[in-house]
Amino acid sequence: MLKKLKHSKIKAITVLSSLFLAIFISVPIICVVTHTTLSALMTSLASEEIQFAIRLSLETAAISTIMCIAISVPAAYALARYDFFGKSVINTILDAPLALPPLVAGVGLLILFGTTSFGKALADAGLVFVFTPYGIVIAQFFVNVPFMLRILRGTFQSINPRYEHVAETLGCTRAQAFWHVTLPMSKNGFLAGSVITWSKGIGEFGAALMLAGATRMKTETLPISVFLNMSCGELDLAIAAATILIIISLISLFAFERYGGFAQVF
Amino acid sequence: MIGIKNLSKDWKEFSLKDINLEVKRGEYFVILGPTGAGKTLLLETIAGFHFPDSGEIWIEGQNITNQPPERRGIGFIYQDYSLFPHLTVEENIEFGLKLRKSASPDTARKRLRGIMDWLSISHLAHRYPTTLSGGEQQKVAIARAIATEPSILLLDEPLAALDRRTSDYLREELKRIKEESGITMVHVTHDQTEAMVLADRIAVMMNGRIMQVGTPYEIFNKPQNEEIADFVGVENILSGVVHANNNGVAEIEVDLGGHSHNIFAVSNYHAGTVKVFIRPEDIILSENRGESSARNVMKGRIEALDDMGPLTRVKMDNSLVALITKQSRESLHLQNGKEVYATFKATSVHVVR
Repeated sequence: MLKKLKHSKIKAITVLSSLFLAIFISVPIICVVTHTTLSALMTSLASEEIQFAIRLSLETAAISTIMCIAISVPAAYALARYDFFGKSVINTILDAPLALPPLVAGVGLLILFGTTSFGKALADAGLVFVFTPYGIVIAQFFVNVPFMLRILRGTFQSINPRYEHVAETLGCTRAQAFWHVTLPMSKNGFLAGSVITWSKGIGEFGAALMLAGATRMKTETLPISVFLNMSCGELDLAIAAATILIIISLISLFAFERYGGFAQVF
Repeated sequence: MIGIKNLSKDWKEFSLKDINLEVKRGEYFVILGPTGAGKTLLLETIAGFHFPDSGEIWIEGQNITNQPPERRGIGFIYQDYSLFPHLTVEENIEFGLKLRKSASPDTARKRLRGIMDWLSISHLAHRYPTTLSGGEQQKVAIARAIATEPSILLLDEPLAALDRRTSDYLREELKRIKEESGITMVHVTHDQTEAMVLADRIAVMMNGRIMQVGTPYEIFNKPQNEEIADFVGVENILSGVVHANNNGVAEIEVDLGGHSHNIFAVSNYHAGTVKVFIRPEDIILSENRGESSARNVMKGRIEALDDMGPLTRVKMDNSLVALITKQSRESLHLQNGKEVYATFKATSVHVVR
C-alpha cells in the first residue's frame, strides 16, 4: 500500500514536470500568434517587405538545401561505406558547426570572404558573398550541412552493402547499384534531411547576420525581418514574420517526426 | 569451370590463405566449415565484391580476377535474401532483366513468368518482400538470381535462417534447380547434413584454408586429420601405435578408458604412431559377444545415454561413443551401468598419420 502510494507520488511529480514544460513552451508561441488581430496580420503579410522576406527565405533555404544534398550524398556515402586515413578527424570536423555558435561561424565566414585573397578572388570572379543574398545561402549551408550529412550518413549505414553487391551481380555498375537500390532505399532519410535542413535554413539568423548583414529589402530574410522590425518598433510586421516562421517550424517538425524518427541528428 | 589459384585475402577479422580450388561445370560444390572460417569472404571474392591480395580467379578459361562483379556472370544468394524492399516480388526478379538491353520486353516478360511458375511463386508477384515468409523470400531471391541466366550460382548459407521444415523443403528445391537447369552451384554452409545431402563434392574450410576436398563419403569417412574428423562428427578419435600389418589389415594398440586394446583397421601402415577415427554410427552394440565378421569387439559399461530424437548417443566407460536408433535402444534395454559389446568392422576404422 505504502509502496503503491510512493509509486503514484513519483508518477504525479514526473507527469506534472512534463506538463509544466509543455505549457512553458507553448505559451510564448501562442503569445506571438495572438498578439495582433487577424486583419492586422493579413495586412502585414501582404506588405511588400514581408512578401520580400518570405520569398528571399524560401529561395535561399531551397538553394542551400540543394547544395547540402549535393555535397552530403557523396560525403555521407564515403563516411558510411569506406575506411580511409583521417576518417574520424573528418567526422569530427564535419560535426563542428553543430556545436559552434552560428554568430561565430558568421564571423569566420566574413573574415574568409571579406579579407582573404581567396575571398577577393571569388569577388573578382563575380561571387560576392559579403552583404549579399549569396552570403545568406553560404551561411545557411555552413551551419546546416551537418544535419543533412548526419542523417544521410546514418541512412546509408543502415543499408546493408549486400543490397549493392546483389545489384552488381544482376548487372549494375557500382554507380547504377547506388542509383537503383541505395538511393530509393534512402527515401525517408532524404525527406527527413531535406525538411530539417530547409527549415533550419529558413530560421538561420546569426551566421547570415554576420556575413550578409541586415539590410532592409536586400538581405532581409524572415528572421532578419523580425530582428529589424522589432528594433524599430514595427511590431505588426515583426509578428507577421515570426508567425510564418512558427508555422514553417511546426510543419517541418511534423514531417521530420513522420519520416525521420530513425535518424540520429545529434 | 571455376579455378581458384593461390588466392589470399585479408579483410576485417577474416582471411583467406593460399586457396586452390577447381569446381567443375554443372557441379554442386559445397564449402563446409565452422563459423568464422572465411567461407563468406571466399564466396564474395569469387563474386568480385572484394579483390584478392594475391592469386587468381578463372571462370570458363578466362582470368576474371580484376573484372567487376557485373561482368562475371555470377548469381549470388545471401542467407538474409537481400531482396530490394522498395520493389515488389515481380520487380525484384525483373531487376536484372531490365538492365540487360539485349532482351526485348516480351522475352523478358516470358522469362519472368517462366521462372515464377517454375519456382511456384507466381501468386506472390505483386507482394512486397517484407510481407513474405523466409522460405518465400529465399525462393524469390533464387528466382532473381537465375533470371539473368548466370553460369554460376553462389549461395551463402541459404538455408540457415529458415525453420527446419522449410529448410528441408528448400534443400530439395535447390537440388531440383541444379538438376533441371544444369547451373554450377557453389554453396557455403556449416551444416553437415546440408553438405552431405546436396554436394557432389565438398571442400572443408577452416581458419581461412581449404583443408580437404572430396566426395561426401570421403569427407565424412576418410577425414585427413584430427581437426577435420572432429568437425565432421567423428566422435571416436584415438591415438595408437601400429604393431603389425597382415595383408593390409593393421593391428593398432590404442588406449581405451585407461586400458590398452588392440584394434584392427584396413590400412597400409606397418609401424609408427597414428590417429584412429571411428564414426559413432559405425559402432554396433549388442548384449552378447555373438558371432560376426567384424574384427573389433570391445566390452564396455554404459555411462550416458543422450536422446537425440530418432537417434540415441551412447557413451561408454571405455571412452567409445556410439550412435544407435531408438529401436535398438529399446530392444537392447539400454540403461546406464549396463554392460554391452561394441562391435565395428576393420573397414570402418580410418587411420591417418
